[in-house]
Amino acid sequence: MSAVLELRRVLKRFGETLGVGPVDFEVQEGEFLTLLGPSGCGKTTTLHIVAGLLHPDEGTVTLGGRDITRLDPQHRDMGLVFQNYALFPHKTVFDNVAFGLRMRKVAQSKIRDRVSRMLEVVGLPGVEARQPHQLSGGQRQRVALARALVIEPSLLLLDEPLSNLDAVLRKRMRHELREIQQRLGIATVFVTHDQDEAFEMSDRVILMNVGHIEQVATPEELYNSPTSRFAAEFIGEVNLIDGTVASLIGDSAVVEAALGGRYAARGDGGALGVGDKVLLMVRPERIGIETSPSANGEAVEATVANRVFSGNTLIFTLRTASGIELTASKPSTAQYRDIAPQSTVWLDLGDCRLLPRET
Amino acid sequence: MRAGGGIFAATLFTPITVLYLSFLLAPIGFFLVMSVFRYSPMELYIPAVTADNFVRLLGEEHYRNIIFRTLRIAALTAFFSLLLGYPLAYFLARTGSIWRGVLMFLVIAPLMTGVIVRTYGWIVLLGSEGTVNVTLMWLGLIDRPIKILETEVAVLVALVHILMPYMVFPLFSSLAGQDPDVERAAATLGAGRWRIFFEVTLPLSRAGILMGSALVFTLTAGAVVTPALLGGTKVQMLGQTIYDLVLSTLNWPFASAIAFVLVLCQFSIIFLYFKGGRRRAG
Amino acid sequence: MPDSNKTVPSAMHLKASSAAARYGMGFLITAIYAFLLAPVLIIVFTSFNPTNANTFPPTGFSLRWYGTFLETSGFTDAFRFSMWLGAIAAVGATVIGFLSAYAIVRFLGRRREAGQSLALLPVMIPHILISISLLLALTIVPFPELGGLIVGHIIICLPFTIAGITASLEGVDEQLELAAMTLGASRLRTLWEVVIPLIAPGLLSALIFAFIVSFGDVYIALFLSGPGRTTLPIEIFSYMQWESTPVVAAITTVQILMIVALGLVVERLVGLRKIMRV
Repeated sequence: MSAVLELRRVLKRFGETLGVGPVDFEVQEGEFLTLLGPSGCGKTTTLHIVAGLLHPDEGTVTLGGRDITRLDPQHRDMGLVFQNYALFPHKTVFDNVAFGLRMRKVAQSKIRDRVSRMLEVVGLPGVEARQPHQLSGGQRQRVALARALVIEPSLLLLDEPLSNLDAVLRKRMRHELREIQQRLGIATVFVTHDQDEAFEMSDRVILMNVGHIEQVATPEELYNSPTSRFAAEFIGEVNLIDGTVASLIGDSAVVEAALGGRYAARGDGGALGVGDKVLLMVRPERIGIETSPSANGEAVEATVANRVFSGNTLIFTLRTASGIELTASKPSTAQYRDIAPQSTVWLDLGDCRLLPRET
Repeated sequence: MRAGGGIFAATLFTPITVLYLSFLLAPIGFFLVMSVFRYSPMELYIPAVTADNFVRLLGEEHYRNIIFRTLRIAALTAFFSLLLGYPLAYFLARTGSIWRGVLMFLVIAPLMTGVIVRTYGWIVLLGSEGTVNVTLMWLGLIDRPIKILETEVAVLVALVHILMPYMVFPLFSSLAGQDPDVERAAATLGAGRWRIFFEVTLPLSRAGILMGSALVFTLTAGAVVTPALLGGTKVQMLGQTIYDLVLSTLNWPFASAIAFVLVLCQFSIIFLYFKGGRRRAG
Repeated sequence: MPDSNKTVPSAMHLKASSAAARYGMGFLITAIYAFLLAPVLIIVFTSFNPTNANTFPPTGFSLRWYGTFLETSGFTDAFRFSMWLGAIAAVGATVIGFLSAYAIVRFLGRRREAGQSLALLPVMIPHILISISLLLALTIVPFPELGGLIVGHIIICLPFTIAGITASLEGVDEQLELAAMTLGASRLRTLWEVVIPLIAPGLLSALIFAFIVSFGDVYIALFLSGPGRTTLPIEIFSYMQWESTPVVAAITTVQILMIVALGLVVERLVGLRKIMRV
């Protein structure tokens, strides 16, 4: 595996304000990489820098080893799908898809062939003669994808392409998009603010926040082992508990937690010393709930303050003796359905993760 | 600015910049500079700096009268255009009529026919055998035709007619841009029809009034054709005087001095407009 | 009961006064329209007048003045020259106006208002001043006077083409242009393939409107016309300074019909209001 695209120390300002950067990352061959983050985090700016629609103030962008930092978009070999698809309203589907091929001076006979083949790939055969306004949202999205892919770009760029679809279609398109991407084996950069999309589709996710990269990881790593409070809170539900480092064992630490007791926590303990303030992170579904105290007496005693039923899960709000509230989610099976509000339970916080405490 | 747009944008702006600089601003600048040069019947000008042109312009009663007449007619034209244009703009901005598009077109259409066409229309209407005189005689109000052409009234009426659309457009913009809820709010608070108009609608359309008045005033001040045809030699205005000076006596420096006064009027009007506008915003 | 007795007359009074206001307003508006349109309509009527005077009401119906118009080479030549000049000025003002409007909309960002105001400069300067200064420049710089007339007309048409095209460009999604560029189109190619087809009605309207402005102009032509390059308004102007027969009415009626027809086309395409910036 080698990198198709590399960004090194890329930085972009808008007037006085920092747009994005410095940003470093690379996209491997055939990889589906997602830029994930809240609006205004710089993910679209980063994508536009990759596409050449914006030129960075500092840093370099290389594609297949070639420096393209200052290259105009028309000379880059990339296919970009826009959020609103940006289909040319005055051209037929055929002319839309053929556009990039015509710009590359491909022979007319070959254009016809490649357009119809690509429309088949995206699951829309035979719509060449239609006008964009005659298509549904999902169909337009496929045409936009075909238009970006037909030029056989070395990189496919997707700018929130699913956000204008309805919920059902969005879910189906996730899988189709991923399936097409894998079939063609094309390196892809995908921009989204939706973590479900990012998780279901990506090989790797770049989590961005206020213009910089927060964490680069596979979806599983990002969920299980966030390295910052922002990453932990942006992705999924999380319980954060104040604590102090009591002792260090390799990468793990034993933490004196605010809710009483000491807990072993995985994490980047290397930079920490005994006595440092830290956060303990535990996902709601990783909290064990027992109706009787455990034999070793390590469990935390808590009262069920609230219980919400949401179909396949039960969400418990638990208050410990020290007054800290934790959220736990459990399958709505008989075992947990019987736990009534106001009853006393014992919590197992076995799967804790160590996070630096930001000042 | 998008990537690499700098050179492209500069290229796009080149034609208009060259055009405006070399065929609009530079010639006008040069022409106005001539106002301080000396006149020579043999040459275009003698490049010796002098205040003679301005001294003559302000010193001779004939020219002072022309300046005052021009300012008076310009002010009156702006005033009457406002008086007639405001109800029209208000009506167009508020009407729900399906004919609104047509009515709007009827305001713009006369503008497109050009100055000559409309001036000619007024000659037919106001002439000694014209519609106005014929009608007045038929009604028995007068015995023989009254002289309307070659009076200030004729020039004024025609100028109001010709320039009124320029008043209507800015007024319409500012009236149509008002949030109708503001008037409704005033009504729910107990304000009557006139009260609403004077306390809400009129103050909110101030920008349009200023813009329209400034536009009509300056366009009147520079009018040549209408005063020449309807006023003859009796109602001389500044624009016409410049025209005569250049084409008959070739006195460019003196024509330039008059043009300078014209531009000065215009700039003071624009200055007042922006000052008025800023006061409103502040 | 006494209360309800009180309210009834006042409500009726209110209704009556609002009806009176409505009729008053209706009368006023009708009168204003009559004032606006009377001079134009009177010309049309006068043009069919059989006698040799600008009288109204006409004493009969005749097409003799249209015949006179067609037989007077001074008028027909001027008419033809005005058409020719209008066409050239319209093309020039539309091309330059498009380039400028595109640059204003896409590249000026926050300075856009200022750019637009600068582009509209020629409406704010008295046209007589533009014309006289051009004449002066031409006496010094060796530039053909016909060129000066064309350039002058392009300058006075530009504010209108720019206003109209700017309004049309605002309806074009910038992402379409970015999409074209990422697909390999150069900036020029993008203009040609995407922008121009999308604003074609706006461009056609600008072309027509510029023609109308050029055709109706007196001020630029006042100083810059001459033998062989006399525009119709100037020919009429000089004619009217000496005599006044309904032949002028016949010519201007032809002009009015042409302009109203063209104006209706523009109205159909984009709406005149956009070009007048209202």
